[in-house]
Amino acid sequence: MTQGRRGGENLPSLLPDPKGLPLNRYRYLLKKISWSVFTILFVLVLNFFLFRILPGDPARALTKDPRMKEEAREALRVRFGLDKPVINCFETLTPIKLGDCGVNPFDTQFFIYIKNLTQGELGISYKTNRPVAQILVERLWNTILLIGVGQILSIIVGIAFGVFAAWKARTAIDYSALITGLIAWSLPTFWLGIILLFWGSNNGFPIGGKATPGISTYPLFYQIGDIARHMFLPTLTYTIVFMGEYMLVMRSSLLDVLSEDYILTAKAKGLSTFQILKDHAIKNAMLPIVTIIAINLGFTVAGAIQIESVFSWPGLGGAIFEAVESRDYPVLQGAFLLIAVSVIIANLIADLTYSYLDPRVQTG
Amino acid sequence: MKVNTTFVILLTVFALVISACGALGPSQPVVMRVGWAGSPDTLNPGAAVLSEAYTIFGLVFDTMYQLQLDGSFKLSLAESVNVSDDGLVYTYKIRDGVKFHDGEPLTAEDVVFTYSLYQNTEGYPWMGDYTYYFENMEATDNNEVVITLSEAIPNIDAQLVFLYVLPKHIWEKEDAVEFENFAMIGSGPFKMVEYKPNEFVHLAKNADYFGEAPKIDEVIFQTFESQDALVQAIKTGQVDMITEMPGTAVATLQEDPNVEVVNGAPFAPEVTDIILNQVLPENCPPDDGLCTGHPALLDRNVRLALAHATDKQKIIDVVLLGYGTPGTALLPDGLGLWYNSSLQDYAYDVAKANQILDDAGYVDANGDNVREMPDGSQSLTFRINWPSDSIDSPRIAELLSEMWGQVGVDLEAQALDPDTLTAVCCPAFDFDVIIWGWGSDPDPNLLLSVMTTDEISTGSSETGYSNPEFDELYYQQASELDLNKRKETVWKMQQIVFDDVVYIIPFYPQAVQAYRKDRFTGWILDQPKVELSDVTSLVLVEPVK
Repeated sequence: MTQGRRGGENLPSLLPDPKGLPLNRYRYLLKKISWSVFTILFVLVLNFFLFRILPGDPARALTKDPRMKEEAREALRVRFGLDKPVINCFETLTPIKLGDCGVNPFDTQFFIYIKNLTQGELGISYKTNRPVAQILVERLWNTILLIGVGQILSIIVGIAFGVFAAWKARTAIDYSALITGLIAWSLPTFWLGIILLFWGSNNGFPIGGKATPGISTYPLFYQIGDIARHMFLPTLTYTIVFMGEYMLVMRSSLLDVLSEDYILTAKAKGLSTFQILKDHAIKNAMLPIVTIIAINLGFTVAGAIQIESVFSWPGLGGAIFEAVESRDYPVLQGAFLLIAVSVIIANLIADLTYSYLDPRVQTG
Repeated sequence: MKVNTTFVILLTVFALVISACGALGPSQPVVMRVGWAGSPDTLNPGAAVLSEAYTIFGLVFDTMYQLQLDGSFKLSLAESVNVSDDGLVYTYKIRDGVKFHDGEPLTAEDVVFTYSLYQNTEGYPWMGDYTYYFENMEATDNNEVVITLSEAIPNIDAQLVFLYVLPKHIWEKEDAVEFENFAMIGSGPFKMVEYKPNEFVHLAKNADYFGEAPKIDEVIFQTFESQDALVQAIKTGQVDMITEMPGTAVATLQEDPNVEVVNGAPFAPEVTDIILNQVLPENCPPDDGLCTGHPALLDRNVRLALAHATDKQKIIDVVLLGYGTPGTALLPDGLGLWYNSSLQDYAYDVAKANQILDDAGYVDANGDNVREMPDGSQSLTFRINWPSDSIDSPRIAELLSEMWGQVGVDLEAQALDPDTLTAVCCPAFDFDVIIWGWGSDPDPNLLLSVMTTDEISTGSSETGYSNPEFDELYYQQASELDLNKRKETVWKMQQIVFDDVVYIIPFYPQAVQAYRKDRFTGWILDQPKVELSDVTSLVLVEPVK
């Protein structure tokens, strides 16, 4: 996944400033929110044109087979709205074909796309003939389940290891934790997935899908257990790959905090190491972690394409993979939009949380 | 760290749930689990394109005829058929007492409704073709359907075999194209239990089926997105049968004592072809044609030399790890009786190929190891293209480059996006050589039409081949009602295009599938075609005692 790696970021930590000016705060919020809205609008437009300038006639991707009769092809074009001009003055964008500039703008593909979006419609899948919004929603919940649990586990394990390593800094424990973290972080996801798939299938773990087909007639208890068994291998893969990041950031951030003067003061007061960590250091060291978590949560929506396709998990990542394979442009377009919007929103949340945790960012 | 405590509790619960549910409750029904790499595109038979969808249709719906694994057709829903002497009127008698899965009776009314729906729905990609010659359809009584054709055709069975009969009482209320048909009410030997797109198709046996009822209670088709997972699933017994596997996995599976690997011609006939652009200037399509093909390819001697210089067995061994049959003409062996098995392939013989080119005047005058045209105008350097989504083609191109290099022919290889390839191919004829392929109906008509002069301007003809004798025979077979005479004509047509070296056919790919010997038995394996998931096989299999 295209996950931002932000291990090196070390913002100086401070406790929230109680005297932070409310006016500044609102101005800051307003600025951040309006930028997000503007970015989303930009993505909406870009997303439309991106899929219209891709090489290849979408009508041809739609018809799949050169043997198809012209009438059937035309009927499909009408059904998917490809008989209309892309936008005023342009019939199609690949190849660029100029058209009538005087057409009713509301009868062009672009405005129909915008109009449908306002009604929550993302078009119809070329491949399956089903509404894209419906496909994405079905898949979205599966992805949130898998990646959500994976995120939580990797955060817990990563932070715990990070704290432990910083606490035992420059000992054999620290170095082995550091090396483990680095290795876990740099493991190719696909490769680790395949290795765990081989190991897991020989140890009785299911290696495909979200649940055993037919399980829906069993009592709820069985169903939950069945889903948990199916989740085990993909979640383990995800946790191993992503805990490294949290571990490394937590460790370096905590080491920074531990070198601050007020920690020295705390030590001088005779507090135990545990008390120093618990009451004084960890909270402040959490700042960079919050940023990473927020950003990773945005990418959660994209799922982990590799993990989902190795374990046939019916999530969004798998949907994107299939859509690329079958050139299902409407599904891809919808998925890109969903990912872009959720990344922007997650960034917004990160900004806002940050401004709450560290008021200096509002003025700076 | 209060938050963390909550997480730890959650984690513990999670771990407990996993360990507590190691085994599911005892299950009585006999369930066959099939692993495959695809999933139906839709359950609406009119709108479907993918073969996975057709596999499910074959299990859940009925048709007038059923296609057998030897390529022949057997009456299925109809118990008898009467043909008028002029071959225009077919009277089908439907079996008595056939019921849809929801208990409603299946009558002639439903059949006529279905065929009209297929014929009249413009958004259906194929159904218009299959019902093209149907002029009139009528339910003359509860059990009798009369189909009147506009022309006498020899292959009405091949048209009806994909026209799945739908319940009128459900479909008349729905939009023909948009209907998703998740409940999938049919009348076939299996009925729908649950369908999750891209996850699984869960079917149960139809105990009221008119024909032989399945011996298993349920069948589940589960989608695996990675081929490694598919292979691992059958090795560890998570599935009982897989419909495909990567060539590299065959050897490992063959060693497994519980797994049997089977191979043969695929259910849907398939061919991989090397297309040689031989469109003549006078046949170049006036509107779309660019016709930039290399002039040497117009010469049969060059095409013949290339055929002799192609080591098909080596291509099959390298690309398919042996799972293919060397090809002769465009019609694959999967077409059964239509396939001309008497053709003697051009032997792989580099010396002979060199001799043919020498004799025809293509010599390497400038000593760069590439021959030139007899008039010296240009060298025998051909562009070779293939669709970029093909896994096999780059390897074929590499091998051809090596093999044809031995006879002084140079290749400029480039993969093209499928759309771009279609654009340069036909009817533009802006290429020299293309590696591509066809999937075919059980009837040979389509693949034969591809080589007729009429199709040069439509874009269906890939080679631009034109031979009046072949065209004449094509129209003859299209209206020949006598099976044996038609077969004779079709065989002769294959002989003609083989002699003219219209294509070089490296191979007909084989289907490679596997099943667990310790779970089920009774598969149909003695037929020329192999398809374990076909309805004819799935109604026969039973659990190993």
